[in-house]
Amino acid sequence: MPIQRRRFVQAVAAASAAPALLAQPPAPIVPLKISTIAPDQASEPVLKFFTAVQFATLRHAAALLQPAYNNLPGAIEAEAPEFLDFLLAVSPPTRQTLYSNGLNHLAGEAKRLFSKDFAALSAEEADRIFKPLIVPWTFNPPPNPHQHFLTDLRADLRTATTNSAPYAAAAASSSRRGRGRTGAGLYWLPIDPTRR
Amino acid sequence: MPTPTYDVLIVGSGHSGGMAAATLTALGVRCLMLNAGPVADLERDRVNKSAHDLPYRGFGKPGLHPHIFQANEYNANTWVDEAEVPYTHPTEAPYNWVRVRLVGGRSLFWARLSYRLSDFEFRAADHDGFGENWPIRHADLAPFYSRVEAQFKVVGRKEGWPQFPDGNFVESEGAFGSGQPDSECQKRITAAATKMGIGVSRLRAAMGDGALASSVNLSLPQAVASGKLDILPNAVVRQITTDPNTGRANGAIFLDRHTRQERRAKARVVVLAAGTLESTRLLLLSNLANSSGALGHYLTDQQYGCTVVASMPEARDGKANPKLIGGGLFVPRFRNLRKDEKRNFIRGYALPISTGSSADPKYFPEYGEALQKKLASYAGSCVSGSIYGDVLPRYENHVRLNTNQVDAWGIPTLHVDARYGDNERNLCKDAADTMEELYKAAGLEVIVKSEQVNPPGYSIHELGTCRMGDDPKKSVLNKWNQSHDVKNLFVVDGSSFATAGWQNPTLTILALSMRASEYLAAEFNKGNL
Repeated sequence: MPIQRRRFVQAVAAASAAPALLAQPPAPIVPLKISTIAPDQASEPVLKFFTAVQFATLRHAAALLQPAYNNLPGAIEAEAPEFLDFLLAVSPPTRQTLYSNGLNHLAGEAKRLFSKDFAALSAEEADRIFKPLIVPWTFNPPPNPHQHFLTDLRADLRTATTNSAPYAAAAASSSRRGRGRTGAGLYWLPIDPTRR
Repeated sequence: MPTPTYDVLIVGSGHSGGMAAATLTALGVRCLMLNAGPVADLERDRVNKSAHDLPYRGFGKPGLHPHIFQANEYNANTWVDEAEVPYTHPTEAPYNWVRVRLVGGRSLFWARLSYRLSDFEFRAADHDGFGENWPIRHADLAPFYSRVEAQFKVVGRKEGWPQFPDGNFVESEGAFGSGQPDSECQKRITAAATKMGIGVSRLRAAMGDGALASSVNLSLPQAVASGKLDILPNAVVRQITTDPNTGRANGAIFLDRHTRQERRAKARVVVLAAGTLESTRLLLLSNLANSSGALGHYLTDQQYGCTVVASMPEARDGKANPKLIGGGLFVPRFRNLRKDEKRNFIRGYALPISTGSSADPKYFPEYGEALQKKLASYAGSCVSGSIYGDVLPRYENHVRLNTNQVDAWGIPTLHVDARYGDNERNLCKDAADTMEELYKAAGLEVIVKSEQVNPPGYSIHELGTCRMGDDPKKSVLNKWNQSHDVKNLFVVDGSSFATAGWQNPTLTILALSMRASEYLAAEFNKGNL
């Protein structure tokens, strides 16, 4: 940040802040040296949203739509289905309905066409269900809700996979150009949030 | 201590407010600036993070910003929270109102594309008979455009085209001053367009200072350094106050964003620069400046959308390189430049085109390993174009107060009713057809063609609702951005626009704010305000 801008920002920030002068300087704080681990190193997610059949359908769809490729993890390895269960559990009702009905449709088609659970379908069998649901991209989602669902599912699985920790770790160990781009960027912290 | 009475009260700190502050203080005018949000410290408030370290893997908290397509988990904390400041729109007519209340406003995040309006926009009614002309021409604003271009270091290529007025540019061969020579793909598209009678130029963009071209680094620092500007953040203005005897504006009532304590600020002149719809909302809340009945009406913007993506076959399978593909192109308006042109729409659009990108997976019907192979094959070979389309300013596209809903500070909110019509849809279809024809003529393979228009507001270029004009019965402001009704009240943001044009509006907003502020200072110093 250029000095001029930094001084300006500091000046404005100082003007808005209440003075907090203390008579005595506080005692120095010794940083604590405690190492921690991430949740997925010691635990597994508890499913909250999908039914058992829906989740089995989602896992099989995820394995087919976003498989591991070129030594980079796929949706299963990235725990994308488990993440989507967490995401859908806190999503607006319209989104939840889209996913629930979409997965139920896949399961229903598997029964109708092959008399099997979707999770038991071969790749060729699943392809017969996927194909009619894949339509050319437009800005607005397809009016058919099942096509809308599969459009979003493909995108969501991809994002949940490439933005996962396993994918980032695999990509970091890869040196070939074009492999394993992962999400990273400048994150804006909450800025003086309103006290509600 | 007695409450000071400032010369000028400025509401808002984005580009228009920042320019007003810089211009006024340079001319000796003492200003108070109220801003609804806090100051962001660009070092303290931003950290590098991997997506997997974010709570929602980059998806963002579901439902947090339902109308902001530009929102993601990285920038989610910068936008106005609709739970705090809601608005409504008809169910069948969604409107994307994208707001930032940090000091600096949306100037912290704009795309920096900087195009002048031409007399095809300023005198649009003369050209095609629709709506009203502006009360000014390009020649009136040209000196101010030039000064803003110098201050913001606008890069561009001069063309000498009347619909694309040249400016005070830093010369450059490539977009954004890269100095990159044209790639083969750029040359082929340019040649194909020339055969179609379409002129191709380059993006014009503000380089600014470092990574920013914002009020917080280009206008506010000099105003603060003058010693004549006080900035008060976290001040949510709810009303412009007036002298009951004279009807003149004399300040504002605001609420502290945190404590909600009401306070009053006093000034001899009031300048609104809160952003198009917030300035109009304040005038509606204050029951001011609406003898014409035009306040809140003629809401317009630029339509975005209409995506056409292609691939250059020679650049696939790892063969993309800077000589072959890469760089941007910009096609300024080329439709309806002649009065005798017969089309099913009036006005026009521009085409921003980028080359050398990779395809978004959603564009392909494949999935699984087949999709991965296709993405690898097409990497770096793609050409993507969309539109900046003019939107007609219609009376029926409007905002009004919604007294049944209040924001977190108890202030009535806005109801936004804006819809695109046949002109916008026909214009968009023409753009999609033209891009497809252009790409094919350049030897490219079209992957995706969408003629759909994004919802109103999507471009974050909302304009109008407080338009300027010579006739006080048809307009809210005069040619100096001054209220026809309240002479010491000015509105210097995008709400003053009489037509939108296809051009990104920031450069014009800055030039108008500078021009209005110099007029204000001169009148103030003569004792006329």
